[in-house]
Amino acid sequence: MIKETMTSKQRMWAAINLELPDRVPVAPILGQFDMRQSGVTREQRDANLETFYKAARDTFNKLGGYDARYGLGYAISSWRFNCMRGITVRPGDRNTPADFSVQWHEEENMFVEDYDKIIAKGWNGFCEDYFTRTGISLEQWDQANKAQMAKVKKEAKAWDDRGIMVLTGSLAISCEMNLSLARTLPKFSLDMHRMPEKVKAAMEAMIPDYIQNCIADCKESGIPWVHVSLERGSGSYFSLKDYEKYFFPQLKKLVEGLTGAGLMCMLHMDTNWTQNIPYLKELPSKKCIANYDSITDIFKAKEILHGHMCVMGDVPPSLTSLGTVAEVNEYCEKLIDICGKDGGFILCSGCEVPIDARFENVKAMIDSVKNHPYPRSK
Amino acid sequence: MSKLSEALANLEEGTVAAIVKEQVAKHADPLTVMADLRKGMDIVGERYKAGEYFLSELIVSGEIFKEAINVLEPLLKKGAGGQATKVVLGTVKGDIHNIGKDIVGTLLKGAGFEVYDLGIDVPSKAFIDKLIETKAPILAMSGLLTPSFDSMKEVVEMVKEAGLRSKVKVIIGGGIVTELVQRHTGADAFTDDALEGVEMVKKLVKQLA
Repeated sequence: MIKETMTSKQRMWAAINLELPDRVPVAPILGQFDMRQSGVTREQRDANLETFYKAARDTFNKLGGYDARYGLGYAISSWRFNCMRGITVRPGDRNTPADFSVQWHEEENMFVEDYDKIIAKGWNGFCEDYFTRTGISLEQWDQANKAQMAKVKKEAKAWDDRGIMVLTGSLAISCEMNLSLARTLPKFSLDMHRMPEKVKAAMEAMIPDYIQNCIADCKESGIPWVHVSLERGSGSYFSLKDYEKYFFPQLKKLVEGLTGAGLMCMLHMDTNWTQNIPYLKELPSKKCIANYDSITDIFKAKEILHGHMCVMGDVPPSLTSLGTVAEVNEYCEKLIDICGKDGGFILCSGCEVPIDARFENVKAMIDSVKNHPYPRSK
Repeated sequence: MSKLSEALANLEEGTVAAIVKEQVAKHADPLTVMADLRKGMDIVGERYKAGEYFLSELIVSGEIFKEAINVLEPLLKKGAGGQATKVVLGTVKGDIHNIGKDIVGTLLKGAGFEVYDLGIDVPSKAFIDKLIETKAPILAMSGLLTPSFDSMKEVVEMVKEAGLRSKVKVIIGGGIVTELVQRHTGADAFTDDALEGVEMVKKLVKQLA
């Protein structure tokens, strides 16, 4: 066991500020795993967020504690304005068990002509129109938002009082991902093929509202972290030429707008971003975390981003779900040895810990940082 | 290379549609038109492998190909039935992700396979029933969630129980599928890349021959 000389918050900030922590901090992305461990179903969570919060606290204790809480359920205003998806298929639908993984069914909810509406009205203006299609009034959303925000705020304070920082105060799904989810991936790919300049103009019109929405959320929640969800713009999907011309400029404006307002960005990057890593050097140093899901080459990310941005990741979901404790240990120690060298690294699950992860594997991941020191040059 | 192949390879959807319509109006052999389209899809695949094209281009080529097939299909049914290798495809029980599966399905068709797409959240028995009905030598299962791994494993076990394991090669795919998952499920191959999946299916067919 490594002798700890820092609090969890100090350790996290040391990693984010690229200083030397006493040991590598660990901040798994938990949610569905907490619920499964405590027997809480999605339906129970939706009916009473407190059941989820209690499950999260209980799992934290059972796991022996970690250094930061990734999220507490997003504030609904972000969902309203910064995230637009197809229908949600909840557990219990399609004969799946009540505590099964939540899944998103992508269907075309936004149409080609909507790009012009976004360009003309901005993102929030368009969303007001869009919401009339869903059958839910903005007033209903606002009421639900207020109720949820009050709970998020209270719970965030409780975690903070325990010395554990919370890493999600607002949510921004990247422009290209949001549009891709709303149009569907095939349709969005065709849009980018047929009318890339129009898509670009729409994305440019989205950014100012995105920034203001996130600032408002973070102010209200008291959590200065924005979860910037990136997936569809990666080198898995688009060429670097397209990324550089259409997508990265929006990310840069978003991050600069948010960090300029004193906020921090969690760049949550699912899929393969290996080719895109160098672009992150153009974002403000020590203001973001590069969070990878096990598909990107995180070792390459450490090599490129060392001295500029903290890297976070990336224990694969298949490993916590199907692997052994020895296999989890082996991978975590490799991460600590290579990515943890000289600080600037936070150990994390590759995206969310799966609902069916083995408890002993998740515990092994968390224990690894407590037992295995990271190498230092001096 | 024909103009049609070249147009598809260059993702010129208007040109592809116009050539296909013109060929149909001229009563050209639909199998020849199809062969040109497949050649175009092959070139798209080569460009993808070379790093010139990305998933978005694969998707766009697939959409152009699908549109062309919609025009050609009625004619193809009237023509001589080919001996295309059959593939049973689907997203496993409990999982409703369709995009990756759909892309693979289109690319397999583009590569000349006869695809039986069972859709999403497919009950395990439905895969077996379709394998028996079609005598397909390839089973391709997709999933994007960790609980899907057990569904895949269940299907592979049912393939064994049905006495089909020596006749059927199984490939699994999805963004989080790894070698560990392949071992767990007992599949013959795995991939997280649509085009690689098609190449692997070709190899699996050769192994059976």
